[in-house]
Amino acid sequence: MSKTRKMSRRQFAKLAGKSALVATAAATFPAPFVKGAEPITLTHWSWLSASDAEVWGKMIDAFNAANTDIQLKLELVPDDQYDTKLLAAAAAGQAPDFGWGTAGQRAQWAKDGVIIPLDDLATKVGLDLSDFSAQPMQKARYPKYDNKLFMIPMDLMSLQPEVNLDHVKEAGLDPEKFPTDGDGLLEWAKAMTKRDGDKVTRSGIMMTGSGVQPTVTWGIVARQMGFLRASDDLKTACVNPDAGKAAMQWILDLFDKLKVSTRDVTNRYKAFGTGQGSIFWTGPWTLNGYVQQKLNFRTYLFPKIGQELHTYFEMGGMELYVQSDTSRYEASMKAVKWLSDNGFLWTTQGRGASPRLSTLARPDYKTSGHDWSVRGAFVDGMAFATEGEIPVLAGPDFTIYAGDNFLAKTLETVWAGQKSIDTAMSEIQAKWQSDLDAG
Amino acid sequence: MTALDLSSAERKPPIDWAGYVFVAFFTIPFLAFNVAPLIFGAGLAFTKWGIFGKPQWIGLQNFSDMLHDEWVGIAFKNTALYAVIIVPGVLVFGLACALYVHQRWPLAGLARTLFFSPNVVSGTVIGLVWTWLLDTQYGLVNHYLGLIGISAIPWLTSAQWALFGVSIASVWWDLGLAFVLFLAALQDLPKELYEAADVDGASRWQRLRLVILPQLRPVISMVATLQMISSLRIFTQVYVMTDGGPAGATTSVVFYMYQAGIQRQFFGYASAVAMSLFALILVMTFVMRRFVRER
Repeated sequence: MSKTRKMSRRQFAKLAGKSALVATAAATFPAPFVKGAEPITLTHWSWLSASDAEVWGKMIDAFNAANTDIQLKLELVPDDQYDTKLLAAAAAGQAPDFGWGTAGQRAQWAKDGVIIPLDDLATKVGLDLSDFSAQPMQKARYPKYDNKLFMIPMDLMSLQPEVNLDHVKEAGLDPEKFPTDGDGLLEWAKAMTKRDGDKVTRSGIMMTGSGVQPTVTWGIVARQMGFLRASDDLKTACVNPDAGKAAMQWILDLFDKLKVSTRDVTNRYKAFGTGQGSIFWTGPWTLNGYVQQKLNFRTYLFPKIGQELHTYFEMGGMELYVQSDTSRYEASMKAVKWLSDNGFLWTTQGRGASPRLSTLARPDYKTSGHDWSVRGAFVDGMAFATEGEIPVLAGPDFTIYAGDNFLAKTLETVWAGQKSIDTAMSEIQAKWQSDLDAG
Repeated sequence: MTALDLSSAERKPPIDWAGYVFVAFFTIPFLAFNVAPLIFGAGLAFTKWGIFGKPQWIGLQNFSDMLHDEWVGIAFKNTALYAVIIVPGVLVFGLACALYVHQRWPLAGLARTLFFSPNVVSGTVIGLVWTWLLDTQYGLVNHYLGLIGISAIPWLTSAQWALFGVSIASVWWDLGLAFVLFLAALQDLPKELYEAADVDGASRWQRLRLVILPQLRPVISMVATLQMISSLRIFTQVYVMTDGGPAGATTSVVFYMYQAGIQRQFFGYASAVAMSLFALILVMTFVMRRFVRER
């Protein structure tokens, strides 16, 4: 005898409600990372867009090929939108698992908990922190936030002069004798500059009338002349302002007195690539592009323009973003460990010098990737690359590699002749001091 | 009439829900994407907020800070200069183009398409094209100026010229709409007026000044108002062509808002600047309507 069981409307509604609850819970709380389970997919954000982005893409592909339990989904976010999109995503609980950061610029994020401390996670997944050289590990920490580690360094970068060898030959200069001081540099610049009447048509020293190039140049030259943006204890801004003023004058002279640079260049990368400039201090992220386009150039160590040798320092690395599902952190850290352990390709073809002692010690480190004549200065030059970020909440206002922060905008008024050097320095000093006071 | 009939007659007519559904297609997105952000933005102007975490109420602090921020002054001054250059530029060239086509001068048919075509191209493309055209060393504009003996002008790289360079691109971009509106108005003018002017022996200049322009006053007012609002909101050309530089010479109010909000995450401050611009546009629109149209 068949027995038909009827369901009341109330029972049906209850069952439907429970089913919906289970389905919602399953979607909201995905299974935690368990070894042996389905592969976990991590979202990785990157703002790399220069020729180095291609190499980073290869790194991600290599990771996905080598790992079956974790897969990476690379998403490219434009540099100027990265911070805002990341903050919006984090506020909505949808932050990517990890992404690219620049050391020293994230004090506010460390304070707000947008990026998470990595000391314990690194130990947990077996990342050997003792294999990193001392400077990167120091720069990856925030002294004001318990000195915790907030980044795993991936590359170390400095600004060094790339020089167009065709122009060197044309000017009758010896490419083996690139100047090591300021006077020699200006002599080379004069010899390679081309003019049409009073107008510079090819810059001996590649410069732009505004934006990053004059700002970072000022930062380097000012430091070489003895200027400090902040004292070591982060309490006093603009130590030795006269040196900062002298550096401003040095740049103005390039345009107006020596006439070895023009303000008329808008895209410095393109301009150097097309022969509109002879000496261009830039970073290792340009190598891939210029090598691919077969530009005849060589990279040298930055000359000593002031009393001490310094250049710009930048460190790129991986930072982990806040997640509602904290079990994902371990998977993210494992991925970061793999990328760091296998960073040889990145630091020979991608950009910068390796922060890992074991990589630097490899006998093939100098012979792999791009030719040492174009890559070597970026590795050897790390020895005097000191001008990095100031790790305070208003850190971005101190950045010298910037085109639209407070510093760049203030200096632009000097380059354009709208403000005197003294006025600009007074404004910089007042703003930076109030930034330092704010912590 | 029975009691039943009476009660049904007194009842209100049934609501036609279909009407609300049709209206909802516009109303809901409008409320969600226009009205709600406007109210949110107005509220945000009184807070300190960097997206992450809750907005912190700070009263009028953002507005007070604006008064001491020299870049706000520069941005408003630049924006006013954009309006001063672009609005008359669009009016004059838009009217000239419309007259050319209306008079059926040579190639008027082709000119009609050419004059309007920039208006259908995106602002980004316009910006990129004009960046190349106005390049100091390799731009076509300086090349042709050089042929007549004028030395290269740093259109986009000098603080003195950059705002004018961006304005040229803007006039070229905005010309199309003004041209179409003027042409439509010209074609609507009664022929008797032209005939009467001819009978009275009016010259071409007199006909334009005494007959055509007075008749076009309502259209001129509308184009001027629309163009002024558009100029006060200028952003794309600035972003693409100069990034606000050199030395802030081309930074507009909207571009400054973008820098403060999107690039530096000072959303409260950016909202305060936005509210100030909103108030300025409101006042300017009122003034233009009052003194141009209703005179």
